[in-house]
Amino acid sequence: MSSTAVAKKEEELTYKYVTDKVLSMLSAPTGGWYVLLATCIALVIIGKCCWFYQMIYGMGVAGIAHPIMWGVYITNFVFWVGIAHSGTLISAVLYLFRAKFRQPIYRLAEAMTVFAVMTAGLFPLIHVGRPWFAYWLMPYPNERTLWPNFKSPLVWDVFAISTYFTVSAVFFFIGLIPDIATARDKSKSLFRKVLYGITSLGWSGSNSQFKHYTAGYLLFAGLATPLVISVHSVVSWDFAMGIVPGWHATIFPPYFVAGAIFSGVAMVITLIIPLRKVFGLERIVTIDHFEAMCKLIMLTSGIVSYAYITEFYTAWFSNNSYERFQFWFRPFGDFKLAFWGMTFCNCIAPLALWYRPLRRNIKFLFVLSLVINVGMWLERFNIIFTSLAREFDPAAWGSYNFSWIEAGITVGAFGWFGMWMTLFIKFFPSIAIMEVKEVITPPKRHPEKHHQVEAH
Amino acid sequence: MKGKKVVVGVFSYLDDIISAISEIKTKELEFKVYAPTFVHELDEAIDTKRSKVSLFTLIGGLTGLTFGFGLAIWCGLDYPLRVSAKNIVSIPSYVVIGYECTILFGAIATLLGVFHFCRLPWIFRQPGYDPRFSDDKFGLVVGCDGDKSGELRELFESKGAEEVKVEDGL
Repeated sequence: MSSTAVAKKEEELTYKYVTDKVLSMLSAPTGGWYVLLATCIALVIIGKCCWFYQMIYGMGVAGIAHPIMWGVYITNFVFWVGIAHSGTLISAVLYLFRAKFRQPIYRLAEAMTVFAVMTAGLFPLIHVGRPWFAYWLMPYPNERTLWPNFKSPLVWDVFAISTYFTVSAVFFFIGLIPDIATARDKSKSLFRKVLYGITSLGWSGSNSQFKHYTAGYLLFAGLATPLVISVHSVVSWDFAMGIVPGWHATIFPPYFVAGAIFSGVAMVITLIIPLRKVFGLERIVTIDHFEAMCKLIMLTSGIVSYAYITEFYTAWFSNNSYERFQFWFRPFGDFKLAFWGMTFCNCIAPLALWYRPLRRNIKFLFVLSLVINVGMWLERFNIIFTSLAREFDPAAWGSYNFSWIEAGITVGAFGWFGMWMTLFIKFFPSIAIMEVKEVITPPKRHPEKHHQVEAH
Repeated sequence: MKGKKVVVGVFSYLDDIISAISEIKTKELEFKVYAPTFVHELDEAIDTKRSKVSLFTLIGGLTGLTFGFGLAIWCGLDYPLRVSAKNIVSIPSYVVIGYECTILFGAIATLLGVFHFCRLPWIFRQPGYDPRFSDDKFGLVVGCDGDKSGELRELFESKGAEEVKVEDGL
């Protein structure tokens, strides 16, 4: 064996290394973890207090007022749904495309999906003002024989988001089962033995289980892929089905789907960089994985930028004065800072990734991912606020007064999301042990030369 | 697994266990293979029959499609919302409901299918299971009546098994 071959062999991951490394993340938490969890819970408490205050004193305490009746809450809703989407993209779409770089990052992305949908789902409840009547959204038999209007995009949204939450949670749990079984076999404390014993459902990894499991997994991926596209299309139709200038555009569904992937991949980078650093996962999540994610960002950033330009072109080409005015108002009107912030964060800043050394610079990527997340929040803000502030009739124009209640609830949502993520990384494997092993060359007594195991 | 006893071979290498499997197959004994991950070569060495989980997905999906459209149409008729001269039942706008329900029911049916075929949740003992099989070892478990266990032990050892155990069957 030549010296280069020896060096190559050392670099290769082994099953044992992956098991031990990933399970070491589940060891007893350090002080830092408790501080992080406490911070998140504190933010949740702030958010809850604001919400209760709003419930007691009414929706007037939020900045929502005519004509901007969809404010920060709906912006947050769309933002968090968007964050959720790239989790499914990474887990399902890249699975179908057999992209090898998916394996070490998809578990975290899926966890992010589930928790982001849980966060997003709160906002319509907060926004409707009387959350205890939220079940009115669902079709249920009642004494007044009332049924929801299934022609309304808002009812579509209820169906889309609840389906999305259910399917992504199922997909997430199905993926976790073999890894929980590994954790079960390795755990020593009684609490963990019981926890993993129950949640692994008695998985043993026998040949027949793997056969049906992988077949089922492929089907889940096949179902989740059209689902993720439909869900954000439906979210975009919440806007595009209305005749408001700036909303009523056929480009919205692809534009929203690309934007969702864009922000979600950025969020995955934001989350995985600290995790990789703290738990020393450099060999499992390599720079190449980041570079692959950067390429996704470059692609989706390009699509989003193209959509922005198309919106302006369509407004001009339509020769519709309301539409034209709306697209003058965005860059030069009351909310021009949001517009230029969005343009900088989503179109200009990601251009740096065309330079390869920056795609492989972890610190830069961390900062850029935060910039993109801010940009995508501003994008939703820009869509919602500017359009509602300048509808058809100048007598009905208006502006917005932010309230501290909205700020508190927004911050609380980040705490809520962070709380679930923090709990998750200490209780369940946040790197997919079984699937990372799948892309490793299996151990052989007589390794074949130039043999490449197909990524599954 | 049939038989009073199970013989368990713990293997470290994939090619060893594959050659052991092909030998066991010629003997027409019932066997089970445990692995830390899904390995295509192993799957091909065992059997190539396709899983029938997709049947669950198909049935679930079709049920969901019918349910989604049925719900929207029936609710529309039961509580008509007359707007101008627009249709009471408007199929294009119900496509979204039908589509989402197809996926929802399809996914739940797939979950049930996976649970059904994988025999999950399973609370009984798995004869021959070893915690190392979820870490880095491959396991071959063969059921027999006890008199053949010596012969199987020799076979496993000749194929390179690290450890051979004889345990009680289920």
